[in-house]
Amino acid sequence: MKKTFIIFKKELLDTLRDKRTILVMIVIPLLLFPILINITTKITVKQRQKAEEKILNVALILNKNAESFKSLLKGNKKINLKENVKEHEITNKIRNGNIDFVIVFNKDFDSKVNARESGIVNLYYKSSEEVSIQKSRIVNLLKEFEDNLIFIRFKELKINRAIVKAVEINEHDIASMKEKFGEKIGGILPYIFVIFCFIGAMYPAIDLGAGEKERSTLETLLVSPAKRLQIVYGKFGVIFLAGIVTAVISVFSLFLTLKTSQEIPEEILTILLRIVDYKSILLVFTLLIPLCVFFAALLLSISIFAHSFKEAQSIMTPFNFLVIFPIFIGLFPGVKLDAVTALIPVLNVSLATKEIIFGTIKAGLLAEVYISLLILAGLSLCFCAKWFQRENIIFRNS
Amino acid sequence: MIVLDKVSKKFRLSKKQKREIGNGYKSNFIWSVSDVSFKCQPGRIFTLVGPNGAGKTTTLRMIATMLKPSSGKIRVAGYDTVKNPEHVRKNIGFLTGTTGLYARLTPKEFVKYYADLNGMDEAVFKKRRDDLFDILGINEFANRRIGKLSTGMKQKVSIARTMIHDPDVVIFDEPTVGLDVITSRSIIQLIKNSKKMGKTVIFSTHIMGEVSLISDDLAIIHNGKLLYNSTYENFIANMKTGTIEDEFIKIIKGA
Repeated sequence: MKKTFIIFKKELLDTLRDKRTILVMIVIPLLLFPILINITTKITVKQRQKAEEKILNVALILNKNAESFKSLLKGNKKINLKENVKEHEITNKIRNGNIDFVIVFNKDFDSKVNARESGIVNLYYKSSEEVSIQKSRIVNLLKEFEDNLIFIRFKELKINRAIVKAVEINEHDIASMKEKFGEKIGGILPYIFVIFCFIGAMYPAIDLGAGEKERSTLETLLVSPAKRLQIVYGKFGVIFLAGIVTAVISVFSLFLTLKTSQEIPEEILTILLRIVDYKSILLVFTLLIPLCVFFAALLLSISIFAHSFKEAQSIMTPFNFLVIFPIFIGLFPGVKLDAVTALIPVLNVSLATKEIIFGTIKAGLLAEVYISLLILAGLSLCFCAKWFQRENIIFRNS
Repeated sequence: MIVLDKVSKKFRLSKKQKREIGNGYKSNFIWSVSDVSFKCQPGRIFTLVGPNGAGKTTTLRMIATMLKPSSGKIRVAGYDTVKNPEHVRKNIGFLTGTTGLYARLTPKEFVKYYADLNGMDEAVFKKRRDDLFDILGINEFANRRIGKLSTGMKQKVSIARTMIHDPDVVIFDEPTVGLDVITSRSIIQLIKNSKKMGKTVIFSTHIMGEVSLISDDLAIIHNGKLLYNSTYENFIANMKTGTIEDEFIKIIKGA
């Protein structure tokens, strides 16, 4: 035990001095969310504002119809009205960027409207994400124009407008806020901490296994009086700790970002922070512990097998998908925690997290998840310990 | 004292390794060391000579308990390498020419790590470390990260690590490979000093010049088999060629 701790202490010191590990373990999870959330929301808001405030060049071809629509456009300060555009010029002018939108009223528009039929208006534009926001401004103006025409029709026919609404649907969603947001957050949370736990454990694992082989330091450790098991457990402890710390930092960073972000509306934020209470988070982390044992043992086994940093990295890459895939399945709406899914590693953590945040976790299923994770953790650790004692694995390259 | 009694070691071959050996090779195993017996006495330097791939490193790794013999017995400082590997390791110092060091630790931290693993008493450790650091001239860079040291400085730290727990048996596996003349000389000096202190020293090399410098006893190994084992004096006295190198080649070719 004492020697295990000596090895653990040294490996921890060595790991904490590795810039690459610190970057993956602390810097990236700490900065990713503030950067991702703040920058993306800022860019989105700015783009939206730009699209909404842009003065649009709108060409109007009325064909001697709808004079009231022209005055509606003229009254809008954010529209630059162009009236001398010919119909054959439409495509070119839009493509060249001289004009954003062209509105063409059919020649028989007024007569159709007067006959209480539908008058046809053609709207020309070049679609893009920015234009879709601008388009809604033009469509809203056309709707306002249509509303006026309908209002006149009802007035002429002396009909109360409410008569056309035979059914009014009043929705009463009895799901609590915790339930509404639980599913969404419950899906995202495991995505964050499981992946960060894996990535955080990956670099120390490579460094402490394959890295030792590559630097030819393993031999000196093997001739020390420490037993192979003590060496494995010392190394495993550091890898496990790195995985857990990375996961904790990533979740902490997410909440800190949510709490300090000014872009997220206050009422949503209050609900978000209220439903994800400390008790739920602690419970979720107890699931993460056996999962991280499994990750650490798996990664160390791969790393010991590989004879170089590069080889370890290339073997571990496909395992990333083995982690991402079950979490991805857990995000599907129909997939629930049951007696079978509770046995599938990673997926069970993903689904159980959802239910814990949701507030609907059943004690029996939670126990099944714990037991299956503990068995998996135990087996993987045993395998790793046995693996480290095999001569053909340790001295694979010689 | 090191005693090897009919020691053999076989390795399982992968398909790729079998292909590399050639079409004629049928067995799934290869004997890296075959029926090797010798004795290394305290206060004497035992030199194990052989070309690359002769089985020197495998033999030394078995002595150091990193590998288990497939058959035969090895006793080091009175302990069986299979039954009491931890006791054996407590009594040995192991140094190779390719031994790496932890680049992110300082020499002080590095040496302390191995002292702790050897269960050294704090006061004994400090005294021993100070003596070794003085003799080897490590003090001036004792707190610098090992990654920033020169090859010569690193080798000095390696020596300090090997000797920190004052082992009875010292194993040197081609310790001068890739080193410059000055650093090589300091290693040779270390081997001579170990002998003076009454330690059992086993030293493997394929450089004949080194053999003549320090050997008390000599063994020649080739293709895993021991071809010669006697004192260095006997070897010189019975030489049938003009140089040690020619004699070595003659023995190897005659096998």
